[in-house]
Parts: sequence; structure tokens; C-alpha cells
Amino acid sequence: MHEEWSHTLLQSDPMRFYRAKRDRLHQAVTSKYTILGFISSGTYGRVYKAQSLEPDGQIHAIKKFKPDKEGDVVTYTGISQSAIREIALNREMSHENVVALKEVILEDKSIYMVFEYAEHDFLQVIHHYSQTLRIQIASQVLKSLIYQLLNGLVYLHSAHILHRDLKPANILITASGVVKIGDLGLARLIYQPLQPLFAGDKVVVTIWYRAPELLLGAKHYNKAVDCWAIGCVFAELASLRPIFKGDEAKLDSKKNVPFQRDQLLKIFEVLGTPTEKDWSGLKDMPEYQNMKRLDTYPNRLAEWCQTRIRSQQGYDLIRQLFAYDPDKRLTAKEALAHKWFQEDLRPTRNVFFPVSAHHLPPQRRITQDEAPSMMGMPAPTQAQTLSQVPLGHGQAQGQHLSQQSQLNLSQQSKPGSTASFGSVSGGAVGSFSGGQGGSARKKPRIG
Amino acid sequence: MATDFWASSHYKRWIVDRGTLKESRSDDLQYVDDPEYLDFFAIFFANVITKLGKKLNFRQRVIATAIVFFRRFYIKNSYCETDPFIVIAACCYVAGKAEESPVHIKNMVAEARLFFSQQPYGVKYFPSDNSKLAEMEFYLVADLECDLTVFHPYRTLLSICKKESSNDLQTEAGEVGVGVDDGPRYWGSGDGQLELPDDAFQLAWSIVNDTYRSDLCLLYPPHLLAITALYLAVVLHGPTRELLQQQSHSVEATPVHSSPRRSSRQSSSTSLGHAKKPSQDFVAFFADLNISMPLVATIAQEIISLYTLWERYLEDSDLVDSARGTFYGHASAQTQSGGSHSGVSTPVESLDDAQKPHGATPTFLLQVLTRMRENKLSDMAHASSGRPVAVNKMLERTQAAG
Repeated sequence: MHEEWSHTLLQSDPMRFYRAKRDRLHQAVTSKYTILGFISSGTYGRVYKAQSLEPDGQIHAIKKFKPDKEGDVVTYTGISQSAIREIALNREMSHENVVALKEVILEDKSIYMVFEYAEHDFLQVIHHYSQTLRIQIASQVLKSLIYQLLNGLVYLHSAHILHRDLKPANILITASGVVKIGDLGLARLIYQPLQPLFAGDKVVVTIWYRAPELLLGAKHYNKAVDCWAIGCVFAELASLRPIFKGDEAKLDSKKNVPFQRDQLLKIFEVLGTPTEKDWSGLKDMPEYQNMKRLDTYPNRLAEWCQTRIRSQQGYDLIRQLFAYDPDKRLTAKEALAHKWFQEDLRPTRNVFFPVSAHHLPPQRRITQDEAPSMMGMPAPTQAQTLSQVPLGHGQAQGQHLSQQSQLNLSQQSKPGSTASFGSVSGGAVGSFSGGQGGSARKKPRIG
Repeated sequence: MATDFWASSHYKRWIVDRGTLKESRSDDLQYVDDPEYLDFFAIFFANVITKLGKKLNFRQRVIATAIVFFRRFYIKNSYCETDPFIVIAACCYVAGKAEESPVHIKNMVAEARLFFSQQPYGVKYFPSDNSKLAEMEFYLVADLECDLTVFHPYRTLLSICKKESSNDLQTEAGEVGVGVDDGPRYWGSGDGQLELPDDAFQLAWSIVNDTYRSDLCLLYPPHLLAITALYLAVVLHGPTRELLQQQSHSVEATPVHSSPRRSSRQSSSTSLGHAKKPSQDFVAFFADLNISMPLVATIAQEIISLYTLWERYLEDSDLVDSARGTFYGHASAQTQSGGSHSGVSTPVESLDDAQKPHGATPTFLLQVLTRMRENKLSDMAHASSGRPVAVNKMLERTQAAG
């Protein structure tokens, strides 16, 4: 009877009715959330501050993955490995010190990840102390920040998840002073891997936070790379500047990973040149010969810590997090049990507990979206108010921010062309100022 | 997360009961002549995914994840409203990424197009446009509620039997985590270990592979499927069964039986390489597990009925990593199952006429599917008239039954 046309339809557009049904049932992002403003942008997309239209009116950060474009036409090209990872891991996780994913909305060729909102992040706190307050972070606050960070990392590691991109911009703090590890875009499950870790991503961890075994070309690495990064974050909170601020050698045209000479030197200057006594596997590292050609340095960490950490136990903790041999490096669990945390003054649940109100870091700045096509414009009145926020502040720290946020996978970019999308936070106030380079958005992702 | 099944999305959202499964097929039941065909679909499509997965060089675990995605998708959707082939391609594409074995979308489309265009599928319409697959991926991930981490029984098998990566299981040697410390078992059943000969272990592994031909992965937690597979392997694997019988006989103290058996064991055990080891008390091992044995017995029943159904499913009897042969040998006491399987090339028509079909071939199932989808389409197109064009098969069956 009607078989011919139905047969034709089954051949030409077999999923037509399925699509129609699904589209009919879909609840649009804008029907569930009001977009309050734009927070930051990066390689993978943009982050917005949004308010739920449910009665609770909760505030959220919505991470919108950038849709792929062919010319001006937005097309489906497949969800990136990074987005799949971040979604898959976040859907399983639940811990006070890890940013919670509320939901994922797939709409109109874009992915929206709705996270709990965090008012601050480590990078912003560092900037606040170094630029505005011009004082050190009180040691109790420092201790609380590191304690909660380690607590979150113990959870991730016990679930066999490597974060692989821990850095200040990716570590958030809620208004009530709870630390939340964010951005699992590079994170990976290491339980019974079907592929070696190296196979997927040739380069992991932002250069300043990258562990020596990675810098020396190790193909196999483990949770210890996250613990090294925590050591770096610890040092940065204590001194308000990155402890190993090296220049990254870029991938060559054949995408070979170069020897990271400068970054290693920056580490050696503080920790001394590693020897086989420190690290028995050292001579087996692929870059060992290159390393031997570098000048040698003595270990000056104790001296470095004297003015900055001001606690023997604190020094001991950082020393052990900076063990060259990954097998001797403190694990997150061991670090959490370190005596420093049992020493007075003890860590607090609200990391800002000892901080007087006028010393609290400012609220996260939101602005009008510079690319309104990415999401529905905020209401006109709001847009007006927002557009009056001066942008100069962001420029001042542009250099620092963009350096920090060079995503390790974006090897072909020039330094400073990327803003952090590191996290929901994206790295603090005004970090979008670094993201204007069109080149930043076209970078291929390796793996 | 990887260690905590009880906190996982798999446990919290994707273990469903039979009622839910039945409900999810209600639309299909209106369009299918015989409800049993839907069970054959489960076998058929799992086979399609397995074969496509092999073309893509997927490991068993990736294939298993793709099949679980497929099953989860059809909890929410019906066969008659969708095109399973594009769904399969999307499931494989997402599973590759979720299991860190990604395939480029171009390769995925090319492999799927080529594979589906061949016999018996003959699907010529599979879109060559990458964006069609990417679009389906979007809908699929949404239907999966973004829950992309799947637990499988393989891990329990390995941890119970403590097989290291050094063993010679050719199919899955690389599956074992290297240098990863194992956490406690997520279902908390102590730390006893089952000492199985390699071929009995391989049998259990194959049984687990086979469970994906049914809805079992939606009904039961993976560790229960693993334990059931081990239980069946112990019972069905010749030399191991003899050990088991010996053990129970020695309890009853009947030395008359044990001496001839022992000699037979010796002959077979040389090849198994466990001759010297004192045999383990299997019954005690299972009894000590902190799980419900009646539930294991139920699952065992369901696995056996899967094999009974599968025996009437006529496609490639030479599947390498399946335990079918073992089951036919024991379940139906057939020495040769080849005879009944030569019917792959039987004309479909002969199955479809007067005599009630006892089996199903891929070609036949594809015709069933096409008819279901065409009829559903006509009904939707004529929905405004309020009178279904196609006959409601479910109603028809009920009426026929009086």
C-alpha cells in the first residue's frame, strides 16, 4: 500500500521520527537558566554565570563547549575526547572538594556542562594577595587551602583518576571557603587502562606544574605527577608567584616533544640537580643525556622556604612533595596525614575563617559576552550594567594569566594567546582579555 | 569511582527490573509478529556490534561497553522508531572514546558503511556524511544521560581468579591493569581466590562475553554475572567438574567412585599443569562469597535460557570467543551441533510460511525489523485519521489466544 514511500523515508532519513520526538521533549538551556554574564573563555569554549529558574534560584557556572565550525556553518563533528572524559568522570564523582556537575545539556550542536558555582579560585586569591593586599597569605589559610586540595586529590586518586592539570586556575573556592578541584578535561581513569597513558596525550600538565619525570620524557607516569603539581601550587601560594616559572619549548613541526631545558633549569636552581642517589631510575629517562649537559646546582629549598613557609613541618611537606623520584614522592594520602596539618594553627573548614572581611578576595567578575552568538544575550538592562565594568584590571594580569593557562595540549599557540578555560573559573577576573586572539581557538588538540 | 560500584551511575541509574524492560518494548510488541523475535534482536545486534568492534580493533571491554550503551538506548527507545545501524555506529564511536580507545569519526563512518553494506545486512543507506553520525552521537549521549562509565564482569573475574597480565589468554591479555594497585572488591566479599585451570577460566570469560547477547547487563550488577559465569564454568568444564564431583564424593565417603575418576583426572591434568596442587573446595569458595546464591542460581537459569534461544539463532556457529559449544554439548546432549547450524543459507521464506519458525537468521530478522518500522511509520503518518493502518500485533495475539 504505502510501502513505497515509507521504504524511501526509512532509507533517506531513517531517524527522522526519533529526532522529532527527542527535539519535542528537549528542555532548552535558556528555559532552565538565566545567563547572568560571561566569566571566561578558552580553547574549549566559554564559561557563563547562570541562575537556575527553579525556585531555589541557585547560581551555577555553565561551561559551553565551543561547537566546531566549517566556515560559518556550525556542524556536528563528534564530541571531543576531552569533553567525553570530563563528562564521564564528572557524572560519577561526588566529593566536597571536587566541583560538582549538576547536569549536562546537549543542545543545538553544543554541549553545556552545568557546574556548581565557585566564587573564587587559587589564581585569583594569589593575585589578590600579591597585587591588592600586598601581604603573604596567613599560614593557617595556606594550610587550609592545601589541606582541602589534598583531600580532594585523595578522593580522585582513590578512584584511580589522574587529574593531570592541577594549577591555581583550576582549583576553585566557593564563597563559603570550600576548595573545589575543577577542570577534569585532561583527567583520566588509570584503572586497567586499555591504552598506555602516553598513547593518548603526548604532553600533560601545564609546564610550570609539570613533574620532572614528564619533563625528562617518561612514557609511564602515575599519580605522583599530581602530587608534584600540588607542591608547585603550595609554593606559589606561599610566595605568591610560580616557583618554577620556565619557558616552554614548543613542539616542532613534526610534533616531536622537545627537551624542556628551561623548565628543568628552573627546578634545578631551587631543588638542585638530581642524582641517581635521589632517583635510581634517573639514568633510564629518555632525556637523561640532554639533562647531563645542563649546569649543576645545589639544593636550596630549605633556604627558599625560610622566608616563605616559615614552618619546619611545612618545609618538610613541600620537600617530600618535591621528591625527584616519583616512587619516593609523598602520595596525596600521605601528604594529608602530614604533621604540618596537625600543628597549630590547624586547617579550617572555611578556608577564609581567619581572614577579616575587608581582606576577602573580591567576587568573580562577570562581563557581557563578547561573542553573543555563543549563547542568548543577557537581558538588555543587565547588559548595560555589565558593559560598564572597566576591563583594565584584567589586562594588568594578562601576562601572568595567559602564561598560567597555556594548555599543555595547545602546543602551536604563541605564549599568551590563550586564556584559561582551565576550569569553571577560567582563572579569575578578566582573564578573557587574553582570549581575543583568533588563533587561540583554532588550535588542534593532540590525541 | 572506579572502585565504588555502589556509588556509580551504573548502579544508581542503569540496573533496571524486568517490568521496566517489558515496558520499554511495549511499542515494539505492537508491531512484531512474535515477541520472541525481540529476544533474537538482542542476540543479532550484539553480534553486529561485536563484529563491527573487531573490524575497529576494539578490545573486548570496548565492545562490551558499546553493547551496554546500545541496550541502555533501547530502554528508552523502540526498534520500530529508530535505525539500529546508525545507533550501533554511534554506540561504538562513543564507547571507543569512553574507554580511551578513540576511533576517528571518518574511520568510524567508513568502517560502518562498508561493514553494514555487506551481507547479510545489505544496508546501503548508511550516511557517508560524518555529521550524521556526530548528530546521532549527540542524541545517544543525551539518552544515556551522559553516564558513560560502565562496569563489566571481566574485572571481577580477574580479581577472583587473580589472573595476571602474564597469562596466556590471547584474547584479553592486555586487559589487565599494569602496575595499578587493586582496591578492595567493591562488593566486599573477602579476598579468597578461586584457583581455576586456564581453560576453565577462559570458559567463564566466554560465558561473560555471551551474557551481552541478552538484557542481563541491564538486570544484574556485573560482579554477580561474573560469579555466575565462574559457577557455570566450574560445573561445565570437564576436568573441573570432576574435581568438584570428587570433592562432594569424598564428603560422602564413597571411595569406590573416586579411584577410576582420579585416573581420568590425571590424564587430563597433565595438559592443564595443575597436577600437583591440592584441589580447592569450590563449593566452600562459593559459599563464602558475600552474595546471594539463590540470585546466582536465577542468573544461571537465565544464561542457560539464553543459550537455548541462541541455539535456534542461525548465524555463524564458529564464534571464537563464545561458550556456546560447551552449553550445547551439555544442555541438549548433542555431540554434534553442526547439523542444526548448517541452515544459515536456508531461504528465509521457508522460515516464514506455514510451519511456525523455530529459528531466526539475520536476513529474516532484518525483514522483521523493516516491516515493523514501515508499519510504525504508516501509523504515524496516518495518526490523524485515528485508525491504525497496521494491525496491532499484540492485540492480534491476545485475540488469537482467545
